[in-house]
Amino acid sequence: MTHLLEVAGLKTHFFTQDGVVRAVDGVTFTLDAGQTLGVVGESGSGKSVTALSIMGLIPAAQGRVVEGDIRFKGDSVVGMTEDQMRAIRGNRIAMIFQDPMTSLNPVFRVGVQIAESLRVHKGMSKADANQRAVELLDLVGIPHPSERARDYPHQFSGGMRQRAMIAMALACDPDILIADEPTTALDVTIQAQIIDLMMSLQDRTGSAIVMITHDLGVVADIADNVLVMYAGHPAELGAADEVFYKPQHPYTWGLLDSLPRHDVTDKTELCPIKGQPPSLVNVPSGCPFHPRCPYVKEVCRTMVPQLRDIEGGHMSACHFSGEPGFTRTEMACAGVSS
Amino acid sequence: MLKYIVRRVLQMVPVFLGVTILLFVLTVVIPGDPIAMRMGERNMTDAQRASIRKALGLDKPLYQQYGDYLVRLSKGDLGESSRARRPVLSIFADLYPNTIRLALAAIVIEIIIGIGAGIISAIKRYSFMDVLVTLSTSILVSLPVFWLGLMMQLLFGIKFKEWGLPYLPVVNMTSDQFPPWAHMIMPSIVLASVSTAYVARIMRSQLLEVMNQDYIRTAQAKGLSPSAVIWKHGLKNAMIPVVTFIGLDLGAMMSGAILTETVFNWPGIGYMVYQSILQRDWPVVMGGVIIIVFVVMIINLLVDISYAFLDPRIRYGAESS
Repeated sequence: MTHLLEVAGLKTHFFTQDGVVRAVDGVTFTLDAGQTLGVVGESGSGKSVTALSIMGLIPAAQGRVVEGDIRFKGDSVVGMTEDQMRAIRGNRIAMIFQDPMTSLNPVFRVGVQIAESLRVHKGMSKADANQRAVELLDLVGIPHPSERARDYPHQFSGGMRQRAMIAMALACDPDILIADEPTTALDVTIQAQIIDLMMSLQDRTGSAIVMITHDLGVVADIADNVLVMYAGHPAELGAADEVFYKPQHPYTWGLLDSLPRHDVTDKTELCPIKGQPPSLVNVPSGCPFHPRCPYVKEVCRTMVPQLRDIEGGHMSACHFSGEPGFTRTEMACAGVSS
Repeated sequence: MLKYIVRRVLQMVPVFLGVTILLFVLTVVIPGDPIAMRMGERNMTDAQRASIRKALGLDKPLYQQYGDYLVRLSKGDLGESSRARRPVLSIFADLYPNTIRLALAAIVIEIIIGIGAGIISAIKRYSFMDVLVTLSTSILVSLPVFWLGLMMQLLFGIKFKEWGLPYLPVVNMTSDQFPPWAHMIMPSIVLASVSTAYVARIMRSQLLEVMNQDYIRTAQAKGLSPSAVIWKHGLKNAMIPVVTFIGLDLGAMMSGAILTETVFNWPGIGYMVYQSILQRDWPVVMGGVIIIVFVVMIINLLVDISYAFLDPRIRYGAESS
């Protein structure tokens, strides 16, 4: 069966003066129509670079996809020419970025910026595209859309700008919407509104969504599947319920343990993952997580664990996942209390 | 927008008055007897002096003299040259077109070559063209204008003639031998040289900076062509500082280009003011300064208005302080 989007063994590396930055190193996942995939991980875990690789927006002067494949409706986009890629970009696969304050061009009217992709991809006339832009602004909940379409970005609040970005991304009815931390730069109350908006639009349009975030709460709410990334590597991949209720990878355990929990009344201390994510120029040998892993064994230092099926499509990249007796313990928190 | 323009024009009034006060004070404190300067070495009786003082209004209190001066100014009377015995206004009316011609030619060079080189250099970063532009602009900004002028005269005017090549007129604005445009080539290139180099460098750095902005990535993610991304989304943002520079430079050129005009014996206002300073012809100096101040203020206003068309964030300038 052909998936809508299939990423297999994707490696995107950047070539800098300090050496090769292995920003994405072997990411694998699939996405089907109408589904939502949550991609979680710390900053620098390769989430955004994965998204930019799918969009074909890795600056050629700095880096490229060195290995693996990205297939959209069965066609590999890695080998596509710039012209072929441009026909997909913004049309079939659209993207929303993290910071709505800087992602809109300050010198063009909001409506014009939304109409732009309609004119490029749908060949609409200026008037039709502008009319459609007003409808799209209305769709994403901007009041008085016909007046606001003539406003400039600086006349919009942060939440409204992100709504405008969503309108822009949805203009051509894309098959896939990639949202790269779309709520990180917004107030908490606005965050929920934006997530709700995206979900209700997904119900209407049937787009698949790749939601990149470090907010596990958001993922738990909306994702069908979850990909956990660490240092450019996939750590765990599976149905959201599986990953949240039966996590298999020690890194996922650490992520879940570092969340404050409102249902625990006694003041237990938070249990963060010790240490820092590694430099992507010098990724640790073996399992990239081994220096921070409380369950580390000798094999972890030498052998790179591959993503493998543990149980019914629930995959983990840990040598010990699925072994009897390898479970989440309080070990992780030992020594953190100081 | 209209409100903004009216406000800006009103703001020009105190600036202009300030300049007139400064100039008036200068005439009072500059050493030398104005009557002696007018009359030269001729001997005069005290009665003659007194009558001339009275005729010139110099016997009145200073504030009244200043008032009279303002009244004359408002009528467009800038006084009379103490040497040429001609109204200052008519001297500058004759010479200003020469300065404007040279300035406009230089600005055109600045816009076409400067902006063009900057864009090519930014788009083809680290290419041969980029290295060429970066290198030649560094050399150009460090060359003294008069030296460049003299060297060009030597090469294109004198040596080319010796070698039997087509050559250019060395000095003056007109001659029987050359059409007027040929006379403009060297002076306008020399006048534009340093600024063109600056424009190219500003354009390059601005465009490179803008191309790293998030909204450029958004434009790319929309599936726009690389040329649409650069020419539409990039350039309009990158132009703002370039327009500022060119505008200010136009103001500077409209104030007369003393070095270029002197090297090429170009009868413009810069040369005139310079000569008048040497000859202590104060009415001409003062009148020239007043005209220049006025022109520069108008050009600055036009530059500020042009921002509004480039950057909507300053469209309603009346809101900011």
